[in-house]
Amino acid sequence: MSNVTAFLGGSLIGGLPNWVLVLLIAVCVFGGIFERWGVWLTEHGRIARSRCDEKIASHRADELQDRLMNLEARMGQQAATMPKELHPIVARLDKSTDQINKAATYLADINIEEAAERSFRAAMPSMESTRGLSKLEKNIAQTTGRTIREKLSEIRPALSILKQEAPRLKADAAKLHDIDAKFNQSVRQVNDQFKEFEAIMRSEDRATIASRASIVVPWLIALIIMTIALSGVFLNFFLIERPMSEIVGEGARIAGVGLPTFAALIVIFLEFVTGVILMDALGFTRLIPAFESMSDKGKKILAVIAFIFLGAFSVLEVTLSMVREEIIETQQETSRIASASLISPSLTTPRDTPDAAATPENGNPAQEVRKQGLAKATIAQIILAAIIPWLLAAAALPLETIIRSSVFMVSIASSYLLLTLGFICRSIGAPSQTIGRLFGGGSKNTDREDEKAAKAEERAARKQTKKNKKDDDEGQGSQREDDLMVFEELPQDDVQSNRRDKRQRELKSA
Amino acid sequence: MIRRMVLGAAGLLLAGALAACGLVTSTNRSVFVVFDVSGTYVKAVPTATKYANMMIAELQPGDWVGASQISACSFSEKEMILQKQLPQTPSLASAAKRELFDEFANYAAQVKSAKFTDIRGAIAQAAFELKQRPEQARYIVLFTDMVEDMGKGCDTSAVKLDLTGIHVIAANVIKSNPGNPDEYFALLTKWEKTITDAGGTWNLVSSPDQLPKLVTEGR
Repeated sequence: MSNVTAFLGGSLIGGLPNWVLVLLIAVCVFGGIFERWGVWLTEHGRIARSRCDEKIASHRADELQDRLMNLEARMGQQAATMPKELHPIVARLDKSTDQINKAATYLADINIEEAAERSFRAAMPSMESTRGLSKLEKNIAQTTGRTIREKLSEIRPALSILKQEAPRLKADAAKLHDIDAKFNQSVRQVNDQFKEFEAIMRSEDRATIASRASIVVPWLIALIIMTIALSGVFLNFFLIERPMSEIVGEGARIAGVGLPTFAALIVIFLEFVTGVILMDALGFTRLIPAFESMSDKGKKILAVIAFIFLGAFSVLEVTLSMVREEIIETQQETSRIASASLISPSLTTPRDTPDAAATPENGNPAQEVRKQGLAKATIAQIILAAIIPWLLAAAALPLETIIRSSVFMVSIASSYLLLTLGFICRSIGAPSQTIGRLFGGGSKNTDREDEKAAKAEERAARKQTKKNKKDDDEGQGSQREDDLMVFEELPQDDVQSNRRDKRQRELKSA
Repeated sequence: MIRRMVLGAAGLLLAGALAACGLVTSTNRSVFVVFDVSGTYVKAVPTATKYANMMIAELQPGDWVGASQISACSFSEKEMILQKQLPQTPSLASAAKRELFDEFANYAAQVKSAKFTDIRGAIAQAAFELKQRPEQARYIVLFTDMVEDMGKGCDTSAVKLDLTGIHVIAANVIKSNPGNPDEYFALLTKWEKTITDAGGTWNLVSSPDQLPKLVTEGR
């Protein structure tokens, strides 16, 4: 062993360390293996990447599908409420139109010229009896004025109707316009989403589709929210850890963790799980697969149960926070008695100590202030304890995004890792193989091996194609969980055909 | 599917049972307090009980407390003052601690002096009591001047002590002869050797706040 180490540490050729020499020889000898590893890793890296793209695209399609469903539901609600909104508007429009029609007819029937003429003729007898021109004028003016006033008094109701109905018509028109705009917006949204959905479903360029879906940004946002929620968990933990000892007792340790601490952690986990169930049952998340196939009634029942449980947890935490304050108070009092006995001439009991004897009734201001402070702290703890279980439940919302995005990110990273390793292996393998051929003269053997490998790969590819066809034939009747699964086979076929072509080109060039 | 679920549940139960068997441990401790009532120390007993109170105030729920006194013939049940296990819940434990304070106060108020000082017998009695306890952490707290004075009728100087797994803490060790510090230090060294030879650990506490830390936190 020491000889080998000494040899590796030494140098035979011009200062070049022996281990480098050994490495170079090893690379030259095993270059072919590196080359094959490189090809294998690159292919699998590409397959992994295409599968990852497929999954991301499918997830995006799922998201869009959900959004479409939501929009559809919203439009359905709009459609349901539309008759209620439209019926009064239409009734008012009918009424207004009728009124305006009547007023317009009446106004159209009025003949002012005839009225003026009639008034003039009515004034004629008095003209004959009166010779004075001024009196004549006065008479005509009075008669005309009276006649016109009479006519105007008849017109006035019609005019007031017009005055009233015009703003109503305007308001109704505005409402109709709003409804139209809302509906059009919903339609536009549905169309846009549907276009994208169609593009995802039909497009064969999965990489482009996948690149459109953002993974990192939602992941980061979810992570921030989750971190905030986790800080709430810590707060909650410290709030309930001590009073838990009143329920489970102290003195035992489970895996090095104190029993009250363990119990507090369990309560927090239970709250979180209840929150996850609630969010899943309400349809906000899809973390639990069982909910996918559950009926709406079942989901509602579970949501109600989870809600009740969360309420119970909230009550439990409020109680514990109150107990916590009592425990701290008692423990502090006990320690104080023990410490006070050292300086007190009489030994222990609280009644003997001057501080303990000073009750608020005696008017000790320090004690009074302390009690008030404790009461405020207890109220703050109670509020916090009541809120935190619900906040923990809300923490389930970003969990789904974190898990899904993390899976995608790991998949992408691993595919890139495979590709990088493949590149490195090929970079090492290709030149070393060439050097090996030059010096070793074993090109014929290598070519033969390559041919054999190519033939074996072709056979494997043919088998795979047959198997795929068979699977397709058999799988037509069976249900597929994901519609997008059909796309999964396309890239694999492409990859296999590409592989064959490439291999053939390599063989020709060799 | 159901088979898998059943298998999974069985596996979980098994893992839980294994974990419960091996991973659940107790943190409770048993503490035995010994007061010296010989003529040279009996006046310091009230102070010693106050030190003991401070230590008891810091004990955890579920801990066990025993007390006895060093007299002419200490290896005896007659010298036992009290034995009490604190309840598991903090509020009840606090109440029990206060009862212990009262018991110590009553004891200090009516303590009577003894003619001889059988420290070894008291340690043997304390060790015997502690060995009966299930708690893993065991402490003997000695409130004495460490000056032994055996009577003729009860000589325990040849008794072999077994203090394996027991921490012995000497607290409030007063100087019986202030003019001779060497004697005091030699006495302490002798007792330390005796305790460590018997398999125990030795600690000397001079200030009252050190004792609770040593017992509850081990430092």
